[in-house]
Amino acid sequence: MKHLIHTLNKAFDNRVRLGVMAVLMANESVSFNELKEALDLTDGNLASHVSALEKVGYVLVSKQFVGKKPNTTYQASKEGKTAFQDHLTALEKLLRGPA
Amino acid sequence: MKPATDPLAQLTEIRAIMERSSRFLSLSGLSGVGAGVVALAGAATGHWYLHTHYGAQAFLRLVEGSAQERQQALPALLTLALGMIGLALVVAFYFTRRRAAQDGRALWDAPARRLLLSLAVPLTAGGLFCVGLYLRGAASFVIPGMLLFYGLALLNASKYTLDEIRLLGLTQILLGLVAMLLPGWGLIFFALGFGLGHIGYGLLMYNRYER
Repeated sequence: MKHLIHTLNKAFDNRVRLGVMAVLMANESVSFNELKEALDLTDGNLASHVSALEKVGYVLVSKQFVGKKPNTTYQASKEGKTAFQDHLTALEKLLRGPA
Repeated sequence: MKPATDPLAQLTEIRAIMERSSRFLSLSGLSGVGAGVVALAGAATGHWYLHTHYGAQAFLRLVEGSAQERQQALPALLTLALGMIGLALVVAFYFTRRRAAQDGRALWDAPARRLLLSLAVPLTAGGLFCVGLYLRGAASFVIPGMLLFYGLALLNASKYTLDEIRLLGLTQILLGLVAMLLPGWGLIFFALGFGLGHIGYGLLMYNRYER
């Protein structure tokens, strides 16, 4: 039998990515700086993990300009939300242990 | 960075992040108690002022009096109202900052901004509307209006902060509607809603989260 641990999504195998998804689940649309504040991270660290989530299609990025300043906002995609929910369900199953 | 594989730790952290990033949780119950005390002191001052200038049954006489009389009383009442709001905000800010510092949380983050904005818009509109009511001869609706707009503002803001704020909002709305039916009882309802309401819910929140 496949061990339950393998049902966990590899994309969320990291605290930062997990945190990013958690923030995006609870909030409709979040700017880069808000995300950074909420998770207490540095620019580079956050940027690399967000782009990893963007690559697998879990996060949607939109770049706009507020005046002359670039303003990047992030949203969880439909696939991202489903994947995250599945991940949470898998975690709960692991916690409950084999039935 | 260590991969997060302990499921319990992961779930706990996810829940905490979701809460923290969407709600302002540092609101201190003592802020409510302080604002309530300010409101009671303000209601007493207002009562005293009207009594010394307009005699017994002052509130009712002002409500039913001439437009000129009301205009004369406006600067004093407006000063009192703004003074109360200012003082209540200072007290609320003090206790909330203290709680944020105790919990090691940022005071000025995205949920705090959303909370203040969702309060400020209905409160500004309501405040201007109440001044209009007062000057246009519907002064008996001023305090019900204040309670209603404040209740709606709290209801609107409650999705960005602690759940008790929603109940406080509903309480104010209910008091506002009852106050509308009892003109002349305005100051009593003011003291009930802004005074005792704040103190009651403030103590409740303090007991639940800060002890």
